[in-house]
Amino acid sequence: MNHFPVGWGRPRDDVYGAYNPSYLPQSHGGTQANPITHTQSPIVTGTSVLAIKYKDGVVIAADNLASYGSLARFTDVKRLKQFNRKAVVGFGGDVSDMQYLDRLLNSLDVEENYGGDAPAESGPHMSAKNLHAYLSKVMYKRRSDFNPLWNAMLVAGLDESDKPFLAYADLLGTTYSSPSLATGFGAHLAQPIMRRAVPNEAASRELSKEQAVECIKECMKVLFYRDARSMPVYSIAVIDGKGVDLKEDEKLENQSWAFAEQIRGYGTQTV
Amino acid sequence: MTSIGTGYDLSNSVFSPDGRNFQVEYATKAVENGGTAIGIRCKDGVVLAMEKLVTSRLMKKDANKRIATVDRNIGVVSAGLVPDGRHFVSRARDEASSWRSTYKAPIPVASLANRMGSYVQAFTLYSSVRPFGITAIVGGFDAETEVDVDGAVGSGPKVGSGGKTQGVKEGGPYLYMIEPSGLYWGYYGAATGKGRQAAKAELEKLNLDPKKGDTISLEEGVKEAARIIYVAHEDSKDKEFELEMTWISAVSGPTKGRHEDVPKELKDEAERLAKKALEGDDEMEE
Amino acid sequence: MVQTTGMLGEDGIHVDMGHLKSGEVNLGTSIMAINFKDGVILGADSRTTTGAYIANRVTDKLTRVHDTIWCCRSGSAADTQAVADIVQYHLGMYGITNDEAPTTQTAAAIFQELCYENKDALSAGIIIAGWDHRHGGQVYSIPLGGSLHKQAYSIGGSGSTYIYGYCDANWKENMTEQEGVKFVKGALQEAIKWDGSSGGVIRMVVLTKRGAERHLYLPDRNYEGPGMDRP
Repeated sequence: MNHFPVGWGRPRDDVYGAYNPSYLPQSHGGTQANPITHTQSPIVTGTSVLAIKYKDGVVIAADNLASYGSLARFTDVKRLKQFNRKAVVGFGGDVSDMQYLDRLLNSLDVEENYGGDAPAESGPHMSAKNLHAYLSKVMYKRRSDFNPLWNAMLVAGLDESDKPFLAYADLLGTTYSSPSLATGFGAHLAQPIMRRAVPNEAASRELSKEQAVECIKECMKVLFYRDARSMPVYSIAVIDGKGVDLKEDEKLENQSWAFAEQIRGYGTQTV
Repeated sequence: MTSIGTGYDLSNSVFSPDGRNFQVEYATKAVENGGTAIGIRCKDGVVLAMEKLVTSRLMKKDANKRIATVDRNIGVVSAGLVPDGRHFVSRARDEASSWRSTYKAPIPVASLANRMGSYVQAFTLYSSVRPFGITAIVGGFDAETEVDVDGAVGSGPKVGSGGKTQGVKEGGPYLYMIEPSGLYWGYYGAATGKGRQAAKAELEKLNLDPKKGDTISLEEGVKEAARIIYVAHEDSKDKEFELEMTWISAVSGPTKGRHEDVPKELKDEAERLAKKALEGDDEMEE
Repeated sequence: MVQTTGMLGEDGIHVDMGHLKSGEVNLGTSIMAINFKDGVILGADSRTTTGAYIANRVTDKLTRVHDTIWCCRSGSAADTQAVADIVQYHLGMYGITNDEAPTTQTAAAIFQELCYENKDALSAGIIIAGWDHRHGGQVYSIPLGGSLHKQAYSIGGSGSTYIYGYCDANWKENMTEQEGVKFVKGALQEAIKWDGSSGGVIRMVVLTKRGAERHLYLPDRNYEGPGMDRP
């Protein structure tokens, strides 16, 4: 056993090989002066968020899983958060930072309501567009402090003239907008499918709610097939002029697995 | 007044020989000049009402609200110096928000009243400040339902938590009144401002003490509040006024636990009844 | 570290003690807390290690932060003790100033604030379990990053990875106290069996309207006793 302080609490050399201290600060036997770091890494994480605009509003979805590395640690984590009657934010990435942002939005909502319900007095309520602008500035500020909030999120809802609104914001402070959007794995797997339904703004103005919901459900299925950090229970929200319709315990339907029976071996084998 | 010319009324931090703080008493005078404000703690909620005296015909009707929201479930109305009232509300909002960031839950009405009482009292201690020229009525509803930690995810056991103490009523409507001295008490009905004597006389006639049987409902409370403000206004009839009225119910009630304006239809109805009740009084004298 | 010592990678958990402070005492642990019919039960093993050396074989990882609000600590012993001490102080103040005992929610909120705002400096994985009149029993989990999760039951520490299957298969809602103790004991026995960083005795605390009751189960008595510590 190594009794020197540097060796305390470290793996035994005879089991794990010599410890490589090169990255340690010089005071601890390292070869480099370690810079002070503030950036962290996400620990408990949510995967993709998907959303698509249709003629009257937006449909958004995310599954209910919070992973701990590859461990499916928490299976009841609702990642779609409603903000007033006009917007829903879908969060991917670190769950603790999602909770921080949720509380931040909650305090914003409390302040929003100080004015009461009379629009004439308090001005119009915050739209999804306002909310996205606010969130993206929070995200950019934090990345500029080298202390990012480790999330990628979609803001779905209605803009100030009650037209469908959908935009993206992430840990770098990056923002963009499109008739359909997806974060994380979804950007690779779901976005191509959604773009078939809404190749451009004009197409999204033609899309019905049913088509939009159907498209999102199809994408959630593909993501469950191919994203190793996903689960088949998800939340889905529809935001339109009537308000927010949020369902948080939906099960994936119409999965296709039976073809596994036709698969034999990995090449020439047939039995 | 006996204080005038003695010099004991010039500073907040100086007592008079008979143990009075005249600055605080003068602040109370400022309150007594303000429009009447009342609060009623009903069975299922709280009503706040204010006799907003119209100081100029050039001001927009129904603008310049005098009853403010703190957090989501608490209302504050004050009589006296309007800017002092605004500062009080601003501080109350800060207290509520700081409570939320510490405990990740809404502040109980009692705790807000306690903190605001301490805050107002501090303004009676120093020569560099003057006391608040307001008496504030703080009304709110502590949720009767269970509230989870702000931001928490997950839902616990599907069958709900085990081992709850049964039959205990949680939360409920609360009403406090805070005076310029920092003194505060919890009330069933509270009144302050110019017409407080008449208002208190009316409040005392209502069934508000739960120990003495069934208390009035929130909707009855709204109607009584409107009537009482109209009664309290009788002595300053020459001046025009607007009635401002808000309410807070349980989460299961009409406001869903929030502090809101009384809806227009209900308020109009309450005002109509209030006017009728006053006319009725006149008729009795024929 | 909590679940194991080390970093989380895409492909799982690597053994790399890189961010253990030099000489740090580690609670490579098995801890859990469950809801049952009348309240909650907390359970833990008793092993504390520095590397492969068992620094303490009879550790008490179940820590009181208020009369009927307790926590299970995993990760750095120093960090989690410091955090628990701060929460205990806050809850004590809360009880006095508000003339009313704090709820489990209040405790969870304060724990989370500390773990989230200081995530750079801490390695603490904490399970909070408590009983109060209004909410009955409740279990909250705060893993490494400082997120807060309400759960029916929660398992944590390096040993927990070995008992996800056991717990999922044997979990029942609304168990009796006897069933609850059996569930916790069964799960922790498995964790102790398979996890080198867990071992020693099984400690439990049962929180109900009766207050807090301690249980102790010893390996040399096949974890059958002595059981509840009733005066």
